[in-house]
Amino acid sequence: MILRKWTAVGLSGLFVALAAGLLTTSAVADEPAQDAPPPRVDLVLDVSGSMAERDMRDGRSRMAAAQQAFEEVIDAVPDEVHLGIRTLGATYPGDDIEIGCQDSEQLYPVGPVDRTEAKTAVATLRPTGWTPIGLALRGADQDLGDGDGTRRIVLITDGEDSCGQPDPCDVARELAASGTHLVVDTLGLTLDDAVREQLSCIAEATGGTYTAVQDTDQLSDRLKQLVRRADQPVENPTAVQGAPGCQDAPSLGVGVYTDRQEFGEHRWYRVPVAPGQELRATVSVAADRAVNPDHGVLLRAVDEGGQELVRGTGAGTGRTDVVSTGLRLPVPEDEDDTGDGDTGDAGDAGDEVRIICLDVGSSFSAPDAVQRTPGLPVELTVDVVGGPDDPSDVAAFGLARGWVPLVLLTGTGLLAGLLLGLFVRLGVVMGRSS
Amino acid sequence: MSRARGVRPFTALLLAGGALLAGGVPAAADAGEGDGTGDAPTEAGTTFRTATVIGQGTSATASASTGDYLYWTFPVAAGQTATAEATVTLPDTAPRSGPATWQLDVYDGLRRRQPCTEGPQTVRAEQDAASVSLSCTLPTVRPWAEPWSDAPLPGGYYLRLTVTELPERDLGLPVTVEARATAEEAGGSAAYGGALADPLLPVGAAGVLAGDTADTGDTGDTGDTAEDGAADTDPYLAALPEPDGGWGGGWWTDRWLWTTAGGVLGALAGLGGFRLVRGPRARREA
Repeated sequence: MILRKWTAVGLSGLFVALAAGLLTTSAVADEPAQDAPPPRVDLVLDVSGSMAERDMRDGRSRMAAAQQAFEEVIDAVPDEVHLGIRTLGATYPGDDIEIGCQDSEQLYPVGPVDRTEAKTAVATLRPTGWTPIGLALRGADQDLGDGDGTRRIVLITDGEDSCGQPDPCDVARELAASGTHLVVDTLGLTLDDAVREQLSCIAEATGGTYTAVQDTDQLSDRLKQLVRRADQPVENPTAVQGAPGCQDAPSLGVGVYTDRQEFGEHRWYRVPVAPGQELRATVSVAADRAVNPDHGVLLRAVDEGGQELVRGTGAGTGRTDVVSTGLRLPVPEDEDDTGDGDTGDAGDAGDEVRIICLDVGSSFSAPDAVQRTPGLPVELTVDVVGGPDDPSDVAAFGLARGWVPLVLLTGTGLLAGLLLGLFVRLGVVMGRSS
Repeated sequence: MSRARGVRPFTALLLAGGALLAGGVPAAADAGEGDGTGDAPTEAGTTFRTATVIGQGTSATASASTGDYLYWTFPVAAGQTATAEATVTLPDTAPRSGPATWQLDVYDGLRRRQPCTEGPQTVRAEQDAASVSLSCTLPTVRPWAEPWSDAPLPGGYYLRLTVTELPERDLGLPVTVEARATAEEAGGSAAYGGALADPLLPVGAAGVLAGDTADTGDTGDTGDTAEDGAADTDPYLAALPEPDGGWGGGWWTDRWLWTTAGGVLGALAGLGGFRLVRGPRARREA
């Protein structure tokens, strides 16, 4: 009877286990509301002579496609985004390279968009002059102004830079390294090899994207997407400069930081961590130029005495944007302090904040022709969470599972019952005999 | 007789306990049903920091260019085995010049690359292929691990999708992508003990350079002030939906049943053994 009841309970238990196994999870996302500086986007449009060519898939000229895409983007731009337009090669039709390569002007200033005004400005453009991309990028960077908030340039062009100096890819890398969090997305209106190479180089140098455009719809969809992307509430990381050793390293709190690191260089940072807290750090080193295919990154947590505490390593091969790794380091409460914290000295020592040194190194290499400065972009995040972790038993709550503990427990119970029965029986026998 | 009566309340108590267990848990399972948030994201992030949040079981779509690095992030709790999947639709209209290799990588909340236990993680798409499907199943997430181990821990996970090898000429051509992350409970065999202080969540706030002295003042007085300060100014990137049962995977595991069953079998075996040895005479006498 009892046994039958127990099979019933066992079955229902099995049911429970199955139900728990099938447990699906739901997601409730809540958006953080915050007042951020307006995201700014500058659209840089090539209005050089070659834009008159009619080779879009829908039979239109490159210029017509660009103009229609701009109209759609201006209609679709979110209100909080500040949009500006800059042109290159829009005014000087002549042959003088000196003048032609200075031809880049702000068509519409970066700010809240007056849709009619902006559209009128775009409609007046006619394919005209040269392609000074480097100059236009510098101009666009100035158009965007300084300050916090997202800063993006979208470059739409059909030709490689026809001015040579400055090299647009170097300009892009220099702008990205200037600590202004600039991202350049590029759109190529032709499938030409040289154009693709140059535009993808510009995008790579700033962490942007390159798209090969072949028809009007694709162009306007992509433009709208890039403008929307600027509207994401993302905080810019704080620029910091790591030191060659732990002693002079900057002290970091919780948050995201950027730095630049040359090939083979080590950068050190310090993080104060109180006992009983856990340090979490991640580092991503970006490949913003042509690098050799094998790469790695090493993040070490070292105490002030130079003793390594824990390390994170990451490595990869092939095409990549970043190589990253992370580590976590629980700093235990001072044992001596909690044990016999009678003396004032011991109490102070227990509260003392420990300095953990972070050492970032990477093993990127590049062909000789590749520029070494500025260094590779490094993104470092630091988090300090309260409470040390709780190692506990290997199994959940120390519970047993499987047939062996079942047999063991049954066997133990049986043995105990037998022994108890034996004692009782002997006791009865002895009681009767006495 | 009196002894046999003494045993019965004990079994009744166990039965009641079992019933309570059996009754309590399906209710929790009911509450856990539902598949992700209502709106599926239609954009993908392009860096770790801008990764798009997707709930478990939600399909996210995005249009992108070949060569973009696309990032999504999703939550995984302890005791779950997560699978990240992606399908890349390659346009037939674009003139591709050769085969391309697509790869899906999964990183944990500390941006440590995670191994895949199953999957095709890397797939070569032939020149005329219409689409590529990739998937990566992670090892079961543990509630706790040694700091020096790379074992997967509860928190946010990143899915990164990109093309790793392609003819240069095909760079920048448009593609559409669908990404999805699902998680299954791994069951009692993977129910480990221990707990992290907090799940591994991606930090998004701009850093604050701390003077050593300033920070000592903050954390030096009591351990709690630092904790409170961190909670007030939440430095985390995006609200990753917390899985049902919490990041630690909840208290339930089928180990409770196994262990309880062991105890019950032990008690029954003890009772049986006792009766067997004590002999029928003793019962008659009582």
